[in-house]
Amino acid sequence: MKKILLIIISVLGVQHFTMAQAAWPTVNTDDLKAKRYDKDTSAHAVYLNEFGVSRIEMGSDDRIHLNYDYRARIKIYDPKGLSNGTIEIPIHNGDDNSEEVTDITGITYYTDDNGLMQSATLDPKKIFTVRDYKYQSTMKFALPALRPGCIIEFSYRLSSPYWDNFRKWNFQDDIPKVRSEYQVHIPGFWNFNASLRGSLKLSHTESEIERECFSSRGSKCDCSFIKYSMNDIPAFITEDYMTAPKNFLSAIYFELVEFTNPYTGARTKVTKEWSDVDRQLRINEDFGSQLKRKELMKDRIGAVIAGKTDTLEKAQAIYAYLQKWFKWNDYIGIYSSDGIKKAYENHTGSVPDINLTLAAALGAAGINADAVLLSTREHGNVNTLYPVLSDFNYVVIKTVIGNKTYLLDATDPLLAFGLLPRNCLNDKGRVISLTKPSYWIDLNAMQKTSESRSLDLTLLDNGKLKGTITNYYSGYKAYEERRAIKKFNSIDEFVENLDEKLPKIKIINSKIGNLDSLNLPLAETYEIEIDAYDNMNHNRLAFNPFLWDKITNNPFKLAERDYPVDWGVPSDTRLILTMHLPAGYTIETPPQVVAFKMPNNGGMFATSFEPMENGFTFSNITRLSKAVYSSEEYPYLKELFNKIILTEKSDMMFKKK
Amino acid sequence: MKLFLTLLLFLVLYKGAGAQENYDVSLISKDLLPYASAVVRNKQVNVEVKSLDNTYYHIKTAITILNKNADDVAHIGIWFDKNRVIKSIKGLVYNQFGKQVSKFSESDFEDQNLGTQSSLFDDAKIRHFNPAITDYPYTIVYEYEIKSKQTLFFDDWEANDDAGVAVEKSSYTFSCKPDFKIRYKEINMPGKVVIATNKQGEDTYTWEVNNLKAIKEEPYSPSADKYLSKVKVSPVKFQYLGTSGSFSNWNEMGKWINDNLLASRRTISPVTVAHMKQLTEGITDPKLKAKKIYEYMQSKTHYISVQVGIGGFQPFLADDVDQQNYGDCKALVNYTQALLKAVDIDSYYCIVKAGRLKKSPLVDFASMNQFDHVILCLPFKNDTTFLECTSQKIPFGFLSDFTDDRYVLACTPTGGKLLHTPKYTAQYNLQQCRASFVLDTTGKITGQMNTEFKGTQYDNRDYIIEEAPAEQVKSLQKEYPINNMYIEKFAFQQDKGLQPVTTETIKLEAPDYGSINGNKIIFLPNTGNRIERIPREVRNRHFEMYINTGYTDDDEITFTLPAGYHVDMRPEATTINKPFGKFSVSATVMGNQLKYKRKLQVIDGYYNKELYAELVAFYQSVWESDSSNITLIKGN
Repeated sequence: MKKILLIIISVLGVQHFTMAQAAWPTVNTDDLKAKRYDKDTSAHAVYLNEFGVSRIEMGSDDRIHLNYDYRARIKIYDPKGLSNGTIEIPIHNGDDNSEEVTDITGITYYTDDNGLMQSATLDPKKIFTVRDYKYQSTMKFALPALRPGCIIEFSYRLSSPYWDNFRKWNFQDDIPKVRSEYQVHIPGFWNFNASLRGSLKLSHTESEIERECFSSRGSKCDCSFIKYSMNDIPAFITEDYMTAPKNFLSAIYFELVEFTNPYTGARTKVTKEWSDVDRQLRINEDFGSQLKRKELMKDRIGAVIAGKTDTLEKAQAIYAYLQKWFKWNDYIGIYSSDGIKKAYENHTGSVPDINLTLAAALGAAGINADAVLLSTREHGNVNTLYPVLSDFNYVVIKTVIGNKTYLLDATDPLLAFGLLPRNCLNDKGRVISLTKPSYWIDLNAMQKTSESRSLDLTLLDNGKLKGTITNYYSGYKAYEERRAIKKFNSIDEFVENLDEKLPKIKIINSKIGNLDSLNLPLAETYEIEIDAYDNMNHNRLAFNPFLWDKITNNPFKLAERDYPVDWGVPSDTRLILTMHLPAGYTIETPPQVVAFKMPNNGGMFATSFEPMENGFTFSNITRLSKAVYSSEEYPYLKELFNKIILTEKSDMMFKKK
Repeated sequence: MKLFLTLLLFLVLYKGAGAQENYDVSLISKDLLPYASAVVRNKQVNVEVKSLDNTYYHIKTAITILNKNADDVAHIGIWFDKNRVIKSIKGLVYNQFGKQVSKFSESDFEDQNLGTQSSLFDDAKIRHFNPAITDYPYTIVYEYEIKSKQTLFFDDWEANDDAGVAVEKSSYTFSCKPDFKIRYKEINMPGKVVIATNKQGEDTYTWEVNNLKAIKEEPYSPSADKYLSKVKVSPVKFQYLGTSGSFSNWNEMGKWINDNLLASRRTISPVTVAHMKQLTEGITDPKLKAKKIYEYMQSKTHYISVQVGIGGFQPFLADDVDQQNYGDCKALVNYTQALLKAVDIDSYYCIVKAGRLKKSPLVDFASMNQFDHVILCLPFKNDTTFLECTSQKIPFGFLSDFTDDRYVLACTPTGGKLLHTPKYTAQYNLQQCRASFVLDTTGKITGQMNTEFKGTQYDNRDYIIEEAPAEQVKSLQKEYPINNMYIEKFAFQQDKGLQPVTTETIKLEAPDYGSINGNKIIFLPNTGNRIERIPREVRNRHFEMYINTGYTDDDEITFTLPAGYHVDMRPEATTINKPFGKFSVSATVMGNQLKYKRKLQVIDGYYNKELYAELVAFYQSVWESDSSNITLIKGN
C-alpha cells in the first residue's frame, strides 16, 4: 500500500527568481456566503489555501537555523468546523536550546448580525504557551469572532535550531484542501533526500538555483529552491483496524544525506547507505557501545544461568530474569538514555535501556543477540529504500537458537519468550549486528495467536447442563488472558469475578495452569453448571452450541474500504463441544455444517457435526491466516464473519422421543 | 554553645529513631487483605492556616504495595499551579521485611501539564514520580509540603478514595489561629473530631480512622459520597487571590460570588444591547424572547476552556466573549445573562456539579469545592427554565442528563439560593421504534424503521447527526446490530421545542438477516434494540442499589412472512414487574404477519441491596428474550 516516490532534486543552473508565492486574493462577501464546498459537500471546513516555506539560514545569533513560515486560510462551514479555529503549534525544547515561534498573526473575516462583512484580528495577549512536559510545549490560540461561514487566516514563523531535522509537509489533513504549497530553500552545504508518501500526486513542482543565497562568516554557497504543490486534496478519513494514518497520508518528507561544514569544508555523510548507518550505530555511545557491554552483565547473570547447559534454557532464564528486574518507565526510542549500567542499577529504564541490557546479558552468556530497530504501529511504516533513522522509534532483540529466530522485548513481564508487544508488529524491522551488515526482517511473520476450547456437557433431568470447559490459549490470546487474570490480587478473586459476570453459569471448580510459565500455553479448566432450562417438561428444546462465546455483530459493516485491515497477527480459534443428552431425547435439527474458505488460503471457517449414542460432538474452526488483509480482500473477510454469525445464530433442536 | 548544638542534634536523631515505624508487611492484619492490592499503613494530612493568604499542607504517607496492580497507587502525583506551590518532597522505600532499600527526592519527579485537549490554557500541572520497584510487596513512605496562597477552600479529606486499597491508619489535622474560625462537616465518619490547642497556641481539629477494608467495586452503586468517610472544612473569613470575604451558609456564599466575582463582568457594548432589542422586537412573551436570545448566543459562540488566574471561579468579561465568540461555561453563562439583561430579562448564574451521575451540594454545608460547571436559570413566574450555555445545539430549556435532577446554587444579588433542576422521568425518557419488514425465503429483510427519542434519550443520535452524510451511514451501520445492513434512505429530524424530540427514519434491506437451515428460517425478531450485557452478579453485596437514570424503550416490529412458511418456534410471551423495572414481550401471528412487541422500562432510584439479585435476573430474562429466535418452517 505504501507508495513512496522519490523526487530527484535537480540542481540545474536556472535563473534566480522571486520566491514569494503570488498574493492571495482578498476575501470577499461571496466567499463568506458560500454554504458548502462543492468538491466535498460533507466538509465542515476546508483549507482555501495553505502555504509554507522552510529555509536554512543564519540567525541573528550567528547560528544556523531552520526557519519555517506558515500561512493558512480556512473556510468554516458549520459549527463542527469551528474546532479548526483553535490552532496548536507544538514546540520542541532541548536541554540547551529550543524552537521559537514568532510573528503570529490571525484574522477572522465574518458576516456580522447586520449582514456586513467584518474582520477581527487576534489579540496577542490571547496566545498561550503551555509546557506539556520536559521536551515539549504547545502554543495555542483561538481565532476571534468565529461563527459558521467565516474565513480565518493565520500565519507564524517557527525558528528551529534543529536544522538536521528538515520540516516535512502534510499535504493531506482531515479536512479537504483547495491548494497546498510548500517551498524549500536548501543551501548547497546540505543535501537532503525528499520523499513523497501517500497516494496523491503533486500538481506542480519546480526547482531553481539561487545564487549565493547562504553566507556565513565568509563562506558562501548557492541554494536549491524547490516548490511542491497539490490542488484539490481530499480529506483523509480513518478506518477501523488500520495502522498509523501517517502511512497513508499524502506528505513530503526530507532526510539529511550529507552536510558540508561551511567553515572547514569538511563533509559529513549523514545518511547514505546502510553500511554507513551500521558503522555509525556500532560506535554510537548510546547504542553500539551499550550493546557491547557484555562484561558488565557477566557477573550479574552468572547465578541466573548457573547449572543450565541448554542454550534456549539459558536465554529464557536471562529473559525472564530481566523481565522481572526492570520496571519500564514508559519511554520508547532507539538510543539508551542513561546507559545500561545505570538503568540496571536503578531497576528502571526506557525500551532501549532494557533491551540493550538484554542483548548485553545474552552476549555475556555466549548467546548471539542483535538489535532490531523498528517503528511502532502508530508511528508508521519505515522507508525501506534508503536508511531514515528517524523512522525508527523502538528497539528489540533478535537471537537465533537452534535455527529458530526469536524476537525479544523484556519491557513487559507477561510477554512470552519470542513474543513482541502487538504495537511492534508493524511491517519490517532492521537487524543491526555488531559484526555483520544490517538487513531487513519481517516482523509479522513469526508471531501468531491461537485459542482452543473444549466443552463436555451433560444435560440433566432437572434442566441443568453440567460438565467441564477447558480453554487453551497461546500467543497474544494467552498474553491478554494472563493480563486479565493478573488484574486480580489472586486467582480466586479472578474466578469469583468471572463467575459473577456469567449469571446463568455457576463455576463449581477451577484450575488455571501455566499462569506464570509464560512459554507454555495458558490452560483454564472450569467445572460448571448452567441453568439451561427451567424444567424438562418440554417436548422440544432449542439449544445454541455457541453458549460460551458467541459473535453476533460483524466487526466489518462497511461495503468497502480504502486501506488494509491490519491485525498484526494471524489467528486460529477452535471449539469442540461434546454433549450428552438424557435417554429420552433425540436431535431434531442439527447445527449447520458449513465450510467457507477465503481465496488464496486467506482464512476459513468450518464446522462439523457427529451424532453419537445419546449425544453428539460439534466442532468448528476459524482461521485468519494473514496479519494484513488488503482492501481487495476485504469483501471476503467481511463474508467470512457473515458466515460465522449466520452459523452461530442458528439453534439446534432436541425433541422427546 | 557547642555542647548545646550537639545535644540538640542528638535529640533530633533520637526522636527520629523513636518515630521510626515498623513497615514489615507481615504486620498487616489479615482482615485488611481481601480485595486489597495496597494498604495505607499510616497517612497523616496536616493543614495549617498560617494567615489568610497562607495555608500549608503537610502530607505524609506510608503505603504498602502488595502486587503489581497497585503500581498506580504507588505512582505519586501532586498538582500545583502559580498559587499552590510545592515546597518539598522526599521519600523512602522499604522491602517486605521493613528494611529501607532506597530513597527518592524531588529531583526524581517530572512535571506535566494537566490541561486537556479542549482547553486553550490551564495553569495547573502535576509533578509526578513512579517508584521503580519490582519486588513485591514493598512499602513507600513519602512526605511533601505545599503552600497555598488562599484560604477560600481546602482540599477535602478522604480516608480512602481508591478501590482496592485498605487503610490501617489515616488521620487529618487542621490547625489555625484561634481567630480563624472554620465550619466542618463529617461525612460517614466512624468517629468524631477532637478539638485541642497545640504548643503554638493554635486551635487543632483532628480526625482519625483505623482499619478500613478495601472497597470492592459494585455495579449500580450510589455515588461515593454516600459511603466514603470524608471531612470537609470551610472557612468563615478568607482571602482569595487579593479578594477577601466571609460566608457561613449558601445564601452568603452566593451573595459573595455574585458581588465579588460576577457583578462587574456583565457589561456589553451599546451596539450589542441595541441588537438584542432589535432581535426580540415584536415578541412579548419573555420566555420566547429569552429563547430567541439563547439561540442567537448558540449560533454565535463556541466552547473553549481557558483557566487563567482566578479564572477558576471568575468568568471572562461579557464584552470579551462578544468580541471573541468563545468562552468556557462561566464566560458563556455570564455572556448570555448580559444579553438577556439587555432586554430586561433577569436570570441567575447557577453553579452545579455536572455529569451523568447526579450529585448535589450538601444542603447544610456551604463550600466552594462542590461544583464544576455553570448553567443559567430563568426565574419566570410559575416556570423556572434552566439553560445549558456551552452547547451550540441543545434545545432551549433542556439539560439532558448532564445537569438534570439535582440541586444547584443560584448566585443572585440578594444571595445564594439552592434550586432544583428538572427531573426527567423513566416514562419521559422514551425511545420508541415502529418498524415493518418483509422477510423473504433467502432470509433477507426489507423495510423501514421509525424511531423517536425523547427526554434524556433525545441526544442519543447527536453524534451521528453532526457527521457528514457518508459517515452517517457508517455510524448507523455500527449503531444497529444488523449485519449486512444496506441503508437505502435515512433522515433525522429534531424538534427543538420545550419537549424536544429526535426522529430517525431508515429505509433498509439486510440480506442473510435470517439464517437458513434446511427447510427452516431462523431469525431474531428484535432487529435493533437488544441489551448487550447483563450486570454481573455480586455475592454479599455491600452497597444499596442505585439506578441513576430511568428510561423506557418501546419497540413494535411487524414482519411479513414468506408464503409457504409458518411459525415453528417463537419466544414465549413474558411480563415481568419489579419495583425497579418492567419488561414485556410478545410475538403474535395474524395471517402472514408476525407482530413483535417489546417494552422495557427501568425506573431510577435507590433500592434495597437485596433487590440487586433480582435486577440481575431481570436483565438476564431480557437478554434471553432478546436473543430468542423465531423459527419458521416450510410447508405444513
